[in-house]
Amino acid sequence: MTLRRNLFTGWCCLAAVFLAAPENPLTAKAAAAAGPPAVSITASNTQRVLKWTPYPSAQSYKLWRSPALGQAWTEETNGTRSGFQLITPGTNSSGFYRVEVQPLSSNALLSASILNRLAYGPTPDELERVASIGPQAYIDEQLAPEAITETFDSGLSSTNGGSVWLYGSAIGTYSANSLYIYLSSAGTSYLDDVRLVAGSDPTTGVNLISNGDFEAGFPTANWIVGTNATASAATTETAKSGTSSLKMVFSSGGSTFYNAIQFTNITGLTNGQTCSIGFWYVPATNSSLTVRLSGSGVQATPDTGIPGITFKLNNRAAAIGDLRAWHIQRAVRAKRQLLETQLQFWENHFVTQYSKSRDYFDRFYDDGNVMGWLATDLELRENQLWRNALLNPNATFLDLLRISAESPAMIIFLDTVDSRGDGSNVPNENFAREILELFTFGVDNGYDQNDIIQMSRVWSGWTVRIKDADKLNDPFAVQTTNQIVAGIGSTNSAVSNLFGVWGMAFRPERHFTNSTTTFTTAKSLFYNWTTNPVTRVLTRGTGKTTPARFGPPWAGSDYSWAAPLGNGTNAINEGYAVVTHLANQPFTEEFISVKLCRLFVHDNFAIGYDFTDGATSPEEELVKACMLTWENSTPKGNIRTVLSTIFSSDLFRGNDGSMQKVRTPLEYGVAAIRSLRGIDLNGRPTADTDGYNIATMIGRAGAMSLFDRAEPDGFPEAGPLWISAGTLAERIRFAQDMLLSSGKEYTATTSDPVALIKKKLPLPSQTDAAAVVDYFLAILFPGEGAGNLESYRTQGINFLNTADDGTTASLFSALTTNNANYDPRVRGMVAMLMTFPRFQEQ
Amino acid sequence: MNSSINLLSRRSFFDRSLKVGLGVALSTLVDIPFVMKRALAEGTMGLNGKKLLFIFLRGANDGLNSVIPIGDPSYVSLTPGGTYGTSSIRPNIVIPPDPLTDYTALGGCDSPVAGPNQSTYFYDKAIRVGNGFTAIHPSLKFLAPVYNAGDLALIHRVGYPKQSRSHFDSQNYWETGNPNNKLIKDGIFYRTMVESGLAQTNALTGVSVQSSLPLILRGSQAAMTNLSDPSRYNLKGIPNTTQGNAKADAAIRAALGSPAAAKINRDLLRLQYENMSNTLQTFEQLDWSENGNTFRDTAVTDDDTGYAQSGTGGYYLFPTTNTKNGGYSRTGGTTDTSRYAVSTGSYGFFNQLKSAAMILNNTDAVIAGTELGGFDTHNIQGSSTGAHANLQRTIGWSIYALRKYFSQYANKVDWNNVVVVTLSEFGRTTKQNTTTGTDHAEAGPMFVAGGAIKGYGKPSGRGVFGCHPTADSVPWITGPANQAGGVDGTMFGISDSYLKRSVDYRSVLGKLIRDHLGATQNQLNRIIPGYTNAGEQLQTGGTSTIDNTAIIGEPALV
Repeated sequence: MTLRRNLFTGWCCLAAVFLAAPENPLTAKAAAAAGPPAVSITASNTQRVLKWTPYPSAQSYKLWRSPALGQAWTEETNGTRSGFQLITPGTNSSGFYRVEVQPLSSNALLSASILNRLAYGPTPDELERVASIGPQAYIDEQLAPEAITETFDSGLSSTNGGSVWLYGSAIGTYSANSLYIYLSSAGTSYLDDVRLVAGSDPTTGVNLISNGDFEAGFPTANWIVGTNATASAATTETAKSGTSSLKMVFSSGGSTFYNAIQFTNITGLTNGQTCSIGFWYVPATNSSLTVRLSGSGVQATPDTGIPGITFKLNNRAAAIGDLRAWHIQRAVRAKRQLLETQLQFWENHFVTQYSKSRDYFDRFYDDGNVMGWLATDLELRENQLWRNALLNPNATFLDLLRISAESPAMIIFLDTVDSRGDGSNVPNENFAREILELFTFGVDNGYDQNDIIQMSRVWSGWTVRIKDADKLNDPFAVQTTNQIVAGIGSTNSAVSNLFGVWGMAFRPERHFTNSTTTFTTAKSLFYNWTTNPVTRVLTRGTGKTTPARFGPPWAGSDYSWAAPLGNGTNAINEGYAVVTHLANQPFTEEFISVKLCRLFVHDNFAIGYDFTDGATSPEEELVKACMLTWENSTPKGNIRTVLSTIFSSDLFRGNDGSMQKVRTPLEYGVAAIRSLRGIDLNGRPTADTDGYNIATMIGRAGAMSLFDRAEPDGFPEAGPLWISAGTLAERIRFAQDMLLSSGKEYTATTSDPVALIKKKLPLPSQTDAAAVVDYFLAILFPGEGAGNLESYRTQGINFLNTADDGTTASLFSALTTNNANYDPRVRGMVAMLMTFPRFQEQ
Repeated sequence: MNSSINLLSRRSFFDRSLKVGLGVALSTLVDIPFVMKRALAEGTMGLNGKKLLFIFLRGANDGLNSVIPIGDPSYVSLTPGGTYGTSSIRPNIVIPPDPLTDYTALGGCDSPVAGPNQSTYFYDKAIRVGNGFTAIHPSLKFLAPVYNAGDLALIHRVGYPKQSRSHFDSQNYWETGNPNNKLIKDGIFYRTMVESGLAQTNALTGVSVQSSLPLILRGSQAAMTNLSDPSRYNLKGIPNTTQGNAKADAAIRAALGSPAAAKINRDLLRLQYENMSNTLQTFEQLDWSENGNTFRDTAVTDDDTGYAQSGTGGYYLFPTTNTKNGGYSRTGGTTDTSRYAVSTGSYGFFNQLKSAAMILNNTDAVIAGTELGGFDTHNIQGSSTGAHANLQRTIGWSIYALRKYFSQYANKVDWNNVVVVTLSEFGRTTKQNTTTGTDHAEAGPMFVAGGAIKGYGKPSGRGVFGCHPTADSVPWITGPANQAGGVDGTMFGISDSYLKRSVDYRSVLGKLIRDHLGATQNQLNRIIPGYTNAGEQLQTGGTSTIDNTAIIGEPALV
């Protein structure tokens, strides 16, 4: 698309304040234009002040002047420009003024929007890549995540010698000549192929650790064993390569030379030189490994990295904090950004609660750790199923809904797990209500209390059971009989002494069955009923029809449903039939489309538009377009086509979508890291986190506990819930702490903006305050437009040119990049920009 | 000031202005510019200086051993002779009566003063409240001066119909103000603040000082604030020094002044940034650290002239260390743990309570609160001493201290304008269990204190509600279950084993929200949905049609 120039005219001595007449919100209006900036002029004897209001995504503003209408316009350079006003001397002859706005190119605007909405925020490198391939190419690429390889999911674990080996590595600067290896607490671990090399790739170059593969026995020259690790020895029990590895046996946790396994007298590196370590290890059961150079210039803690946590998750031995950190680390690092944001969206839509699952397992287990691991595993499994579904181009909403209905976490969360309809038992209504209110139709959108009661019978008998692993997906499989010989549990026959996997089960004997004569009416949804006033018996009438407001092709069709006859094990089909029926009703299409529009465009989409009343709005049209896409895909509800409809819309691509939303705490934390996360000259990321820190922050900034929301409506999208004086303070502290280099609260969340400058800016610009500020404005606020960022720019340049006391002038250009003031000055300026209100927006 | 007009919100304001005339709840007027909401709100909440401080007692407080129906022979025998002081329902955990006290005599609350030579809680018998029937746990002795000043109401038998005995569910019902309703997902004090119209314009309206924001303050239209630690409420500069911090704060303030293109959330962001900036300045001037914890009782506390600092005043109001805990520090440089006012495990709680009180005084917050845990005494509850007793010490001292703080130290808020209220999800079983503890039951007490409370000795006031055979419209029936005429003793009114409620918690909170904080009845009806439902009798009292239980309606607290 070409650049558009918008010219707006203000008349001298006329206060031309453009105030839109109160509009009927249903009136059609042009999609992209947001009204002219109001222009006002005040004149006195000594000066004229020309003011205008900011225009969205303005790259620059220009003032034009003409002595009389009909004469040529020339650019006004006389006078002082500051903010959105021009002050000219009163001695100028009178004339006419115009304000010209040069907006961001539509590609630039769209690039900012897609990185802020499809992704968890831009990274410096992604901004450059999207600028070169174009935003549409990025959209197409993200809509097909199966074609993108995630490097952090592959190549980092290997099965050798009967064990699963994980890889750990770190890059840093050399400062002392010893390598320390230790566990965080008592435990046993295996280590092999330890390498230390100059440069940033530990797999190439000369290994400065002798006998790092432990083929020559242990301990050999330069290896020293601390007093808490004396039982460590070379072993042939298992090995990553060769025949031997080091079996490390720690009787207590370590921290430094005397309580670690040490390799000393390293030679071949000089202080300050870039070096890296790499190694393979078998994780210890309950403690984590640290491998570092003394002085901590190079440090690896692989158990808190994605492969380390994946290992624990795969073994069902991860705590909920580990899952949160893993989820957040993926959000920071993933190339498949849209997949990660979609996962978070669906995870938050089909809400389940870790604590409730943990509470459920309290019935069977005494060990708090085990309860936590099992509950975490339930959250992980539904997450993995959605991930795999979304990697399929044909994924539909029905697929996702079905996964949720079958998920043990959901069965427990909404109390279906104890729901019974046999005998005098009344089935629990919770899931029936929430599946309509929150997961498909939306509140009161086409159903009523009667439907909830009727549907609750369908779900009775859906429960969970611990089964053999290979029977996980068989709802009729019996409880496993594999007993654990030692470890968990008190008696041999207790559930806590069984080895298996908790999965969905159906108990036909608990299902609500009725005599065959009334069967068909006892599980009937969306019918009209009449009540006999005397006997108070309900009689089923005709099916309800879709309201007229939907218009064609939906209006007027009968959307009733009744359970087919069937009992015993066949009755499980009722649940699947309900889910299939609900997934593609117009109410569902509308509700989910609105939620997706709110996620990607802005918060002000409503449920309940009348598509037939002749008046419309861009929001209403987009919802309808999504619904039509949904209806017309084969099978219905193809997620990618609905997303594509949104991404192609004018609303999404223009100013009406750009910068209109506020970041949730999770989005804020991840975006903060990503915004500064490039690769420095040594190959290291210029911003990083362990994920655990961000989980702590989002808990403080609004009680956002991932996977553990007590209310089934999910964490909200809209700004007002998240933004208050107190929550803002937590966000801002996080951003500031991230930029601190010492004395940090979030110690594992680090950034190095100076390293980013050295990679991205030419040498003369590195001490040019304006150039440095302009670079960071461009990567932090890519969608705002430079013309609207002038006040931030001024603040930034002032900050760089002022000493730490806030008042004394100290020219940035007088510093060199090695000056002791350079690094904190840059860090402070970047932190300041990230604390400004624009950074809360997406 | 930004001189540009936000075109979007003016248009939708005109559009929605019709709704105001219909008295629609402010929470549904989402497009109203925030600055307009206060103008549209009814009532005087937030404008009249009235404040509320809540303490949620989590785990379910055993009410029968806190506010004791000592005149009920089923609780304990007062018959002189061999059976005096024995209890068939609580043989191990009954609070023993004092044979030297006539509990039927009328007057004020006894106040067993320790003086310089006895341990603080030397008196280990039930303390006579003076209404002829009720006593309080000896660890609540510091309530006596508050009670005798007429600033305390002990409301017993508080509950709700079809009570849940699940901690999770019942806490939720108390916090949402909606019993047995799992659809309402926001808090009663949240709705109170939204109705006031100040929820998005003021920096702080509802504040909690605990680990995370409780449901009672949660909702989707506005973010209330939880400060896990008020000393966290300041920003960090780089470098993280006083100068660096000031430089960072100044930069944020400077950046707020510039106008910006209209976007949906920018008004909200600007407003809350300004709020935060203003509040930061207030918070920075207060000392939240241990150094700033200098609030002490004005006169000698508990007649303890042996306290090391008794020459300059009494005990520290907010015990956060051993030396600030009661009369621990003695004259002559010695220490005495028997002079503690509260258990050492409650220091974290008092840090939070101090912060909540300071916030109410120094900011525009209308409601502040915190929580105290540990009340789930299933095992070895103890009687005059023990787990339950320690918790009562914290409750008693808290109310005593808050009264002193707001009377003497709070320069912007007066004790007459503050109400302190405790909440707890249910009471506990009348009979002790096999491990000398108690289990989940139904009704329990609420403690309500404040200068405006119409307590003992004030005109038409009284200090005890719900714990007397004749004073209330729903009398306390003494004696066991299954008496003549199908009547159960009140302590066995539910399932022949639990204390039956006589007042609904919504009536208590509703009364305070309307007649203390200043909501209109219309606002209250929206804050507590169903408040005026005829069947429930929450306002006027009567027999609830939900479960045929007689309740007194709103107690005459203020």
